[in-house]
Amino acid sequence: MQSLYFSSRLQRLRNFSRDVTIVTQLCKGVLLRTDELNATQSMTSCFNMVNCAMHVNFRTIKTTLTSYAERMYTDKHEWVLIDGKMGTVGISHYAQDALGDVVYAQLPDIDTEILKKDECGALESVKAASELYSPVSGRVVEKNIAVEETPALINQSCYEKEWWDD
Amino acid sequence: MAQNLVTKLYRISVIGAARNKPYVVPSVKAVTYSTSTQQDSGAVKNSDAVKSVFISQSNDIFTNLALEDWLYKNFNFINHHILLLWRNSPAVVIGRHQNPWLEVNTSVLSEHGIEIARRNSGGGTVYHDNGNLNLTFFTPREHYNRKNNLQLINRALIREWGLKTEISPREDIVISGGYKISGTAAKLGRPNAYHHCTLLVSVDKEKLKHALHKHHKGIKTNATQSIPSPVMNLCDVNSHVTVEKLLSTIGWEYLRTCPYTAEDRGKDFIMKQRGFQFINPTDQWFPGLDKLRAELTSWDWRFGKSPKFNVTRTFQVPQELLGKEELRNEELSITIDVNKGMVEDVMLMVPPGLKAANGFSGQAQVVTSLKGQRFSEEAVTILQKALSELESPEQTRNEFVVDCVRTSILALEDEKSN
Repeated sequence: MQSLYFSSRLQRLRNFSRDVTIVTQLCKGVLLRTDELNATQSMTSCFNMVNCAMHVNFRTIKTTLTSYAERMYTDKHEWVLIDGKMGTVGISHYAQDALGDVVYAQLPDIDTEILKKDECGALESVKAASELYSPVSGRVVEKNIAVEETPALINQSCYEKEWWDD
Repeated sequence: MAQNLVTKLYRISVIGAARNKPYVVPSVKAVTYSTSTQQDSGAVKNSDAVKSVFISQSNDIFTNLALEDWLYKNFNFINHHILLLWRNSPAVVIGRHQNPWLEVNTSVLSEHGIEIARRNSGGGTVYHDNGNLNLTFFTPREHYNRKNNLQLINRALIREWGLKTEISPREDIVISGGYKISGTAAKLGRPNAYHHCTLLVSVDKEKLKHALHKHHKGIKTNATQSIPSPVMNLCDVNSHVTVEKLLSTIGWEYLRTCPYTAEDRGKDFIMKQRGFQFINPTDQWFPGLDKLRAELTSWDWRFGKSPKFNVTRTFQVPQELLGKEELRNEELSITIDVNKGMVEDVMLMVPPGLKAANGFSGQAQVVTSLKGQRFSEEAVTILQKALSELESPEQTRNEFVVDCVRTSILALEDEKSN
């Protein structure tokens, strides 16, 4: 029994060391920014575990950071389209339909630092103010001024009215 | 291929590696205060939620708004719905995205000791005093239903006093001939939501009219605007209605109504509920309440949160200030751009007659001393000081300009303006 335990632990460490390589590569690029606590923490914990490993088996694995743009939805409301380091946040058709006529859009200001799940703005419709929650952490770099000035745009199709060139 | 119609709101520089699986929002806030015996927020309920009626012992608008916010942020309503009943000393409450300068006469209110508060929900401006009862219906987001709540109030009024009321298309409660007796607003978040409304019982209607009187002030903005309606007190329709009686009437009706529909479950249903509770809103009982209250009383929230706007006023220049050669009617025009309650830019158009020999030369001073100031009387005082320091022989012209700026900011009724 004991030997089984040790061998499976060894296997886990072997697998882990493979993973560590990948994590290290990811972290390298990210660590240039000192404000990214998450990355630093995971980097530190990885190194700690590597030091404790009985077998250190660094195989170089070439990984390419494939960043593919995919729209990810939160629970029925906001979506985020991540392209590398930039995210675009919006609301879905379902959400604007549920809201009814939007009379005011309060969006987060440029340069605001937001944490994931923070309340970062509101959409007011027929006397109900619906909170906007941020699906990711980060710093706002641009906001849709057209929507702030004409909140009714939210209820119309916005495919024709692109507000920046992608 | 048909694609979802979507709206982009903002762009954000993301911290952390991109996730590669769909992100699902769990409960937003850590649930710290719960009367629920169920374990997690996703638990399927196998029994009705219980109900409580909380009655606030405070008469302070800011404390009560803070209490409302505290419950919204900290309480778990999954198995426990709450109706909060509260009253305030005279105050005007504006909606979250409104402009106080547009909605009310701010200087008049402060003279009469009437507070101006901004709430977190949307909607228009209302006047509160001790003859007005406020009701807040707290539920989880999924069970938010405004119509049910209003029907509950209608039923209570019929049951106790035989008063027949209707719900207007805008979801106000109206009585005999379309007079409004209640206004409604709501806030939807995750996991909680609330619907609150007022009930006019014996409000001072003169003060209400005076406080909510909208003056034409040349303000241009996209802030949400109030829609004025003729109002009536419940005590005008039936003199037996008092706020105290209404408190218990509506409370009992709330306790006997099904938590998910507007169905009346009868008197026996009340036995299963948690009844009435007096609430003392202090920081001791509600940790963090003082911080919420401080935020609600701050100038930045009440005034600074206004959407950006500009004010344009024109003033007839009195003949005696113009040069002797000028006999035409001349006008001074001021446009002030305000963002977050601070003056961002000022445009002053001084007519040539005023600028003539020994005329007004403090144009630059007006712009520089107002920029960056709060849109308030303080800015006018600073301007007055700046202009008096100018070496201009004609102080009357300076005073005229200062008066015009003061009128633009404080929106006093000026006989000469349009």
